[in-house]
Formats: sequence, C-alpha cells, structure tokens
Amino acid sequence: MFPGMGLTFSFLILLLAATLQASVVPVKKFEQIAEQAETARTTDRVNDAIDLYTEGVHLKPTWSEGWWWLGSLLYDQDRFSEAEAPFRRFLSLTPKPGPAYAFLGLCEYETNDYDGALKHFRTWAQRGWAGTPDLIDVAVFHFALLLTQEGRFVEALYLLATEAGKSRSSPGLAEAMGLASLRMKNIPENYSSEQREMVWLAGEAALYASLPSYEFDRANDYSHRLLVHYGQQPNVHYFCGTLYGLQHKSAEAEVEFKEELRISPHHVPAMLELASIDVETNQLPEASSLAERAIEIEPINPVAHQLRGRVLLATERFQESVRELEIAKQLAPDSAPIRSHLAMAYRQLGRKKDAEREAAAFLSLTNKGEGLAPPYEKTKSSEQRGQPK
Amino acid sequence: MTFACFAVLFLLISASVLQSVAVPSRHKPANDKTANFEEISREADRAREENRDDNAIRLYQQGLNFKPTWKEGLWYLSTLRYQKEQYSAARDTLRRFVAYDPQAGPGWALLGMSEYQTHEYSRSLDHLRRAMSLGLGDRKDMAQSVFYFVSILLTRFEQYDESMSLLISIVKSGQPADSLIEPVGLASLRMPLLPTEIPPDRRELIRMAGQGALAMEGNHQPEAGRLFGNMVAAYPNEPGVHFLYGALLMDVRPEDGIREMKRELEIFPFNASARLRLAEEYVKEEKIEEALPLAQMAIKLDSKRASAHMMLGEVLVAKGDIPGGIRELETARDEAPQTIRIRWDLLRAYTAANQGDDAKREKEEIEKLSKAGSAQ
Repeated sequence: MFPGMGLTFSFLILLLAATLQASVVPVKKFEQIAEQAETARTTDRVNDAIDLYTEGVHLKPTWSEGWWWLGSLLYDQDRFSEAEAPFRRFLSLTPKPGPAYAFLGLCEYETNDYDGALKHFRTWAQRGWAGTPDLIDVAVFHFALLLTQEGRFVEALYLLATEAGKSRSSPGLAEAMGLASLRMKNIPENYSSEQREMVWLAGEAALYASLPSYEFDRANDYSHRLLVHYGQQPNVHYFCGTLYGLQHKSAEAEVEFKEELRISPHHVPAMLELASIDVETNQLPEASSLAERAIEIEPINPVAHQLRGRVLLATERFQESVRELEIAKQLAPDSAPIRSHLAMAYRQLGRKKDAEREAAAFLSLTNKGEGLAPPYEKTKSSEQRGQPK
Repeated sequence: MTFACFAVLFLLISASVLQSVAVPSRHKPANDKTANFEEISREADRAREENRDDNAIRLYQQGLNFKPTWKEGLWYLSTLRYQKEQYSAARDTLRRFVAYDPQAGPGWALLGMSEYQTHEYSRSLDHLRRAMSLGLGDRKDMAQSVFYFVSILLTRFEQYDESMSLLISIVKSGQPADSLIEPVGLASLRMPLLPTEIPPDRRELIRMAGQGALAMEGNHQPEAGRLFGNMVAAYPNEPGVHFLYGALLMDVRPEDGIREMKRELEIFPFNASARLRLAEEYVKEEKIEEALPLAQMAIKLDSKRASAHMMLGEVLVAKGDIPGGIRELETARDEAPQTIRIRWDLLRAYTAANQGDDAKREKEEIEKLSKAGSAQ
C-alpha cells in the first residue's frame, strides 16, 4: 500500500458515511419527533405536544396528521387564531377531511371571520356533516347563528329546531332561536343589550314550540309576555303569527300578520303568510293583491311568485299562472311546492309531458326536504311535516 | 365596571401572580437573541412602570416574538390590554397565558372578565368559575369581582338558585348591598338578564324585588313585607311578583301566602317554584291530595330540578307510598348530593322501609355534610 493511502481510504469512507447520514438524519429525527408528539398528546402534556407537532410539521410540511393534531390541540386551548392555519394545511393535504371543515369554521367564527366560517360550514354540511355528536351540535349551532346573521332565518330555525329536540332547556339555544325568530341579523355577541329581554321571550316561545312534545301552552305564555312588553316592535307580531300557524290557529295567525303589517307596512314575509291563508280560505282577490305587493317590494322572492301563480291557477288563468310559477321555479328550483303547482298548471293546459316532469321533480324534492317551507313548516319534525294540515 | 377596574389595577401592581417568571423554551435562542430578548424585557418593564403603556405593549409584543412562552410578558401584555379596554386582544393573550400556566387562578379570572366584555358569556362563566375553584390567593378585590361576575352570569344562564346563594354570600362578606340590588332582583324574579340588560320600564320592579329580597335575607321581615307589598300593588300582573310576596307571607300568615301563590300560578302557570312552595305548605297542613298534583306538575315543568323530586318524594312518603317516595328522593339526591334536607328525608324513608344499611349510609353522609358546613 502506498504511504498515505490508508488515510485517504478512511477519509473516503468517512465522507461517504457523512453523506449518507445527512440524508438519513432528518427522516429519523422526524420519526422521533412524531413519536414523541403522540406520546405527549396521549399523556396530556398538551404544550409539549403542541411544540413537538409544530417541530414535526416544519420538518415535514406534508405531514397531514401532524397538522390535524396541531390544529385540534390549539383549538382545545381556545387558541382559535393559531389553530386556523394548521386546519387549512390539513385540508389542503387530505382528500378525506372529515370534520376539519367544521373545526375551521368554528375557528373562523371565533376570530370574527364570519364569511369564511359560513363558507366552511356549508362545505362541511355538503360533505356529510362529519364529526362526533358533540362537534356536530356545536358546529350546527354556530352554522345556524351565521345563517341568522346572513338573514336566512328559516334555515337557521330549521337547524336550531333539530338541536332543540336534543336538549330540553338551553339558554344559548333559546337566545339563538329568539334572534332568528325575530328576524334579527345578529349573532348573540353583537346585539343591543336593550333587546335582550325581547330576544329571550321570543326564544323561549320558539324553543318550547320546537320541542318534540310541542309545548304550545308554555310557548304561548312567553309569546303573550312578548306581546305585552314588545308589541310595538317590528317582527314580534309576525313571529306570534307563525306560532299560531304552528298550532293551526289560522284566525289568530291572520290577526297577528295584519298587526305586523300595520307596524311594518313593507313586511314581505307577513304579506306572504297572509296571502297563503287567503288562498286556503279562498279569498283570492286579497291573496292576489298581497302577492303582487310582495313582488313589487321583492321581485325575486320565489314564494311571492308562487302564491300569485296559485291565485291565477285557482282563477283558471292558466297561461299566466304558468308564467308566474316558471319564474318561481327559476328563482327556487329546489322548492317542491312550486314544482307541484307548476305540474298542476301544465296539466290544466294539456301539457302532459311538462306536467309529468314537474310531478316527478316534486316527488324527488319532497324526499329531500322542502327548500322554501315557511318557518312553522321548517320547525316541525319530519314526522309532523308529513301530516296534512 | 367598578369591579373589573379594581381587579385590574390590583393585578398590574401585583407581579406575585406569576409563580415562576421564565418558562424553558424548547427552541433555545441564539446568544444574540437572548441578549436582545433580555434588553427588550427590561425596556418593557421600565415602560410599564413609568406608565408608558403603548410602549410597554409594543415591547412586550416584541419580547414575545423572541420567546412566545414568556409567561411574564404574556401576563403584563394581557393586563395592559385589558386596562386599555382592548378586550379581545387581552383575551387572546390570556388564552396563551393560561395554556402555559393552567393553575393560575388570576389568569383565568382576567380571561373570564375579558370574555365578559366581548359578550362571550358562556366561556366567561366557565373560566371565572375555574378561577374560583383554583383560588385567587389574597386578592380580595379580584375575588369580589369574580364572585360578582359569576353571580350575574349564573342568572343569565337561568341558574337562579345558585346565583342567589352566591349573591347572599357576597352580601354576607360585607360588600355594600346597594350594588347588589339589581342582581338580586333579577335572580329573585328569575329573569335571565344582566343588570346592563334591564329594560328601562322594568328597572323599578327589579329594584323593588331586589330590595325586598335583601331585606328578607337580612331578617328585616316587616321591611321586606312593606317592599313586596308595594311591588305587588305596582306590578300585580308581572310573573314572579306574587311568588316573592307569597314566600315571605307563608312563614307568618300561611293563608295569605297560599293566596299569593295561587295568584302567581294564575299569572304564570309554569312557575315551578310557586308550585313547590305551595305543595310544601300543603304537606305541612297534611293536605296531601292537594300537594300531590303540584309536585307532579313541577317535575313535568323542570324534570332536572332536585327540589321538585324532593317534594314529590316527601308527598309520596306522607301519602304512605314509601317505595315511590324513595325513588323520587334518590333522584333528588343524585341531582343535588349536597342537600342535607334530601338526606334527612331519605334517612326517614329508608328507616320506614326497614332498609337499615341505606339509612345508616345517609346518616353518615348527613354528619359529613354538617361538618363540612360548619367548617365553611
């Protein structure tokens, strides 16, 4: 062997080993960290777990499980603004996000990013409402709060009513139902303190009316107190009218809707409820006039067009009826009642194929649930909704 | 916000809230970073001590960028933000603070008070209760604030009896009763509102109820009678009014008490408390058949209420239905294990049913609870 050769050889081996180590160490380190993170998490060393998951996702940014646990642990500590980013990363990495959209929505709600939260709650719902029963309750509740804030009161009440069936008494739920029932575009954290009692009374009434046991006596007691103290406030009579509607007390409901229109002359939902009662009691000129006024105020209100279409159908003005109902269908293609009335109108005109198509759509949509049902329909259980009025 | 202000001022001058100042970080900063951090933390403290709050806030934030787990920095940043009424920022900082020091009662207290200000009432109540259970050391002002906030939040969450107990304990601790009139009035009338949420046209009623209830609690029965009498005259159709007057009269003139309770039930048929108080009086007068439907209806109205199950248990035992009575009393005991009256009822019922072991166990529990009560 040449002098110095042994040294060179050793050096080459060392160099090779060092090169190999350089590529191996991070993987090994990541695996160690991942293991330590899991141990910390499962032994309730939450802060250590957060640090370790943070380190782990820095070493391996594609580690979806790491992002998931990091988000979840921060969420559990109410550190919502910090939890948002991990949930976002998790969602970008996984094809099966499960409840992550709900968690992200909740974080965004807490950081006042209400548009983002609503968007993500919707995605979560579209993907099947994944999560544990507790998470579903919390997410559904917040989803409903944001729907209320957006002015989608019927949908909000529908969601809240499903929650009411689970917990008999819940001050938070009553408050949320009060806001939606009074059509206040607010979340519980941001409405005026002067309105608190009004919201509470309406909420209790709505809650008792939504219970599976339909405690209308109790609901009426609260709505009576609401009327005594807040009878001059907008939406109060409308809400009491819907409560009477739930109890099939059309005459009392009519009085309340009329009173609402006296207080709020442009109250379209009250007009439509009144028009609906008028159609059912065959007071067609009154119904027609109310529906037309509603269309004037809200030209893109599908229920207004539907009601006008129904009046025209009942007065045998079939061509005009089809025209109105087609507008309604265009505005709300998922509304089963609109499709049903359209089928009837087509049938009257002898348009058999169109009628059959609409009847089929009606059946299919009925199975999915009503998109345009009024509040008293939405707050009923599915069992009760199936009953004829 | 007198209560909150007291607490914060006290906290700002009290560094003793921090059990240990430094938290070892997993990521050790380099030497220059350490030097920078130490310089910034000194500057921040100096700015705070010299009341240059905006500078102090900026410096604490800078320090926390170097060392996110810096407990002292998190604490002072929170208190400064709270003092400057930046409640949501204070809340977020405090959430980090309590994550690193979950045993810090004052941290939970200030977090709960911040959440109160941001109207996150449910969380606020949870965190303030946590502060109460962890303790606040010798911070008397802060403890008073926490008790006050907890009591008014309990009312808002319809836990009226618990709220009332707490309010009474605040009165007994020597706090001026004036600031408690409205909270006591709200809890007495079972209205789930905060004092700031009282509608102007109901304030007088609530104050009358509060003054009457405080007089009753202070054993000034004639004064309470006068106040409640005035309240009933001024607001004869308001729910809760006749109940309060009836509860006062029941001990001195039961026939008038019964009349008021019946009037209450005409106005508000869903008042479970009125039904129970009436049932109790009927049991005392041995009118068991009249007591029975009242107690049964109270349970229907509020199935989780321990006192309703207790009353039905007492009625059934008085009626001779011992197994039925025991069943109800056991439900009541499960709902409210600390209530001695339920234990006494059970002891008597078990004895009547020859369930000696059960009776003995209840007797032991009564002794334990009595001892704990005296110690408190």
